[in-house]
Amino acid sequence: MMTRGILARNNVRVLGRGEQPMLFAHGFGCDQNMWRYVTPAFEDDYRIVLFDYVGSGHSDSSAYDARKYSTLDGYATDVLDVIHALDLHDVIFVGHSVSSMIGVLAANREPDRFDRLILIGPSPRYINDDQYVGGFERADIDGLLEMMDKNFLGWANFLAPAIMKNPDRPELGAELTESFCSTDPVMARNFAEATFYADNRADLAAVTVPSLILQCSEDMVAPTAVGQYLESHLPHSTMRMMKATGHCPHMSHPDETIALIKSYLESTAVGR
Amino acid sequence: MDANGPPWVAAARPGFPGALLDRAPCGYIAFGDDALVRLVNATLLDRLGYAAGEIVGRHVEAIFTVPGRIFFQTHLFPLVMLHGAAQEVFVLLRANDGTSVGMLCNAVRQARDGAFVTDCVLVEVRERRKYEDALLLAKREAERTNRTLEEQALELELQHQQLQDQADELERQRAEAEEARNAAAAANRAKSEFLAVMSHELRTPLNAIGGYTQLLETGIYGPVTTEQGEALRRIARSQRHLLGLINDVLNLARVETGRVEYSITDVPLSEVIAELAAMIEPQMAAKQLTYAVIAPHGELTVRADREKLVQILLNLLSNAVKFTPPGGRITLRCTAAAGVPGMAALEVEDTGRGIPDDKLEAVFEPFVQVRASGFGATEGTGLGLAISRNLARGMGGDLTATSTVGVGSRFVLTLPRSAPRGA
Repeated sequence: MMTRGILARNNVRVLGRGEQPMLFAHGFGCDQNMWRYVTPAFEDDYRIVLFDYVGSGHSDSSAYDARKYSTLDGYATDVLDVIHALDLHDVIFVGHSVSSMIGVLAANREPDRFDRLILIGPSPRYINDDQYVGGFERADIDGLLEMMDKNFLGWANFLAPAIMKNPDRPELGAELTESFCSTDPVMARNFAEATFYADNRADLAAVTVPSLILQCSEDMVAPTAVGQYLESHLPHSTMRMMKATGHCPHMSHPDETIALIKSYLESTAVGR
Repeated sequence: MDANGPPWVAAARPGFPGALLDRAPCGYIAFGDDALVRLVNATLLDRLGYAAGEIVGRHVEAIFTVPGRIFFQTHLFPLVMLHGAAQEVFVLLRANDGTSVGMLCNAVRQARDGAFVTDCVLVEVRERRKYEDALLLAKREAERTNRTLEEQALELELQHQQLQDQADELERQRAEAEEARNAAAAANRAKSEFLAVMSHELRTPLNAIGGYTQLLETGIYGPVTTEQGEALRRIARSQRHLLGLINDVLNLARVETGRVEYSITDVPLSEVIAELAAMIEPQMAAKQLTYAVIAPHGELTVRADREKLVQILLNLLSNAVKFTPPGGRITLRCTAAAGVPGMAALEVEDTGRGIPDDKLEAVFEPFVQVRASGFGATEGTGLGLAISRNLARGMGGDLTATSTVGVGSRFVLTLPRSAPRGA
């Protein structure tokens, strides 16, 4: 597909005044808007690239291919497509949740394009497996899918534009009339299955790109045991325990998230 | 419930209508951007079976089931953080006794006391949940059916395409055959027209040759020696042969181009037989052939063009004479029943050499004679039988043959019988 096609397909947005690209990849359930609390802190020094996976946000859902997007590899192809379309090099890939593993898959396919990986709340495998603790049983994932179905029954309500005042960001007022986490129910379900039934443990050993693991406290989606597993199985990785609780520190604790990313980039930049 | 309410309401926010909230008919919970619970009302605590101390200060996930927690992290929390609100989101909460409680959640995130707080109102859904379960079940069933139908439609489309391809191929073959047939018909028409024109062009000079030969024979241009007379007779014989040949060709061409007109009348066979006898008996006698006519008692009448009927029978009898060795026998048999209702048959039977089975149909083809297979030298164009069959068919009848090599041949002419008189 031509560059213009990819940029429209994945709703790619580029901002910032720096040169080195930071590619932000959103997690399951949302879109590129989830990065809005952290990206401003990097605009002076980096070239910020935001995008939506096909099937999420304002991507071109006509480009949706159920077979392609039934595995994380299909989403990794989206990441590489964006990188090629903008001819990005030395990419600092910032992935939230499932996008951490999507980034790992992309970096394994074309390691030369990547400088570092920043993995927020990563998990190579969500479902418990023998000795491995992922945090979930298969029934939990089935329950999630059911809850999604329930909400998509009335998804017009769920996703209805909520016109609310946002006192901390009045400049975003107009934008808020749009639905951020809009997603097609069938595609969302497919993404959920690709995410939560995935097992990427075998892909970790091949990673050559240095990485930062941001592990939240009390993250039930990616428990601390999972972060520790990753730290010991992902080569060239550094894990930082966050004070932030939950699974979305870039939204709940943007300051801490920004500080940890900056400190990692500065420390590893030495000697480059 | 204590009328003063739990201590957390007053402690958390003086002047907050905590007592009222605690008496609200729906659940209420508030959490900050760190997702830690700030406030909860008694209605929700009662319904879930928790004490305030078990919830306040903890992560709000504590009140969700495990799937509910994932949903909270991936959907509800981003929604309130980005939208500032959520409307009628279905969540599964976990009661202290382990049971799950379905609730609808409306949430608003707003600044209060210098920090952002998300206030949630929760209404339990029981009946609605049942309907939704049924709806979901029906929806999934419909989706499954839809998938099956789509697969079937795809399969049908495939079969349709295959049939279409076959039909296209058949149509292509039919068109090819049609084209070949038209080309053959056109070629045949062109051939017949060419023959008709050429035959006409040839007859004129041939007639001149014939006429002047006769004139020379009469001696009006001077006395004719014996040798010259013999030569003139040979010229005349050749001229007649050539003329006969050309007439045959012309007749066939006429028949094949459909330019023959038939004048069909009731023809009494007895008259035809008598007419033929006069013409054929001298030839029979010359070869010492026995000629027998077998006819039924009473008059047999056919629907035919009289001249053409005579022409056919004369052709058949001449052939019989030609191919039957001296001392043989030729029979003309008339029967009212030809094996086909309403048809009469006229059979010419000889005791000639016969025709091999594999040549029997070929004798009706134009320009075919069986001489090639060594059945003796013959005369004529080989057009006679082709013309005769065409004429017979033109009159609603047919001409066929049976033969046994060494025994003889039988040619059968069928024609429609006349309707009985008075019928």
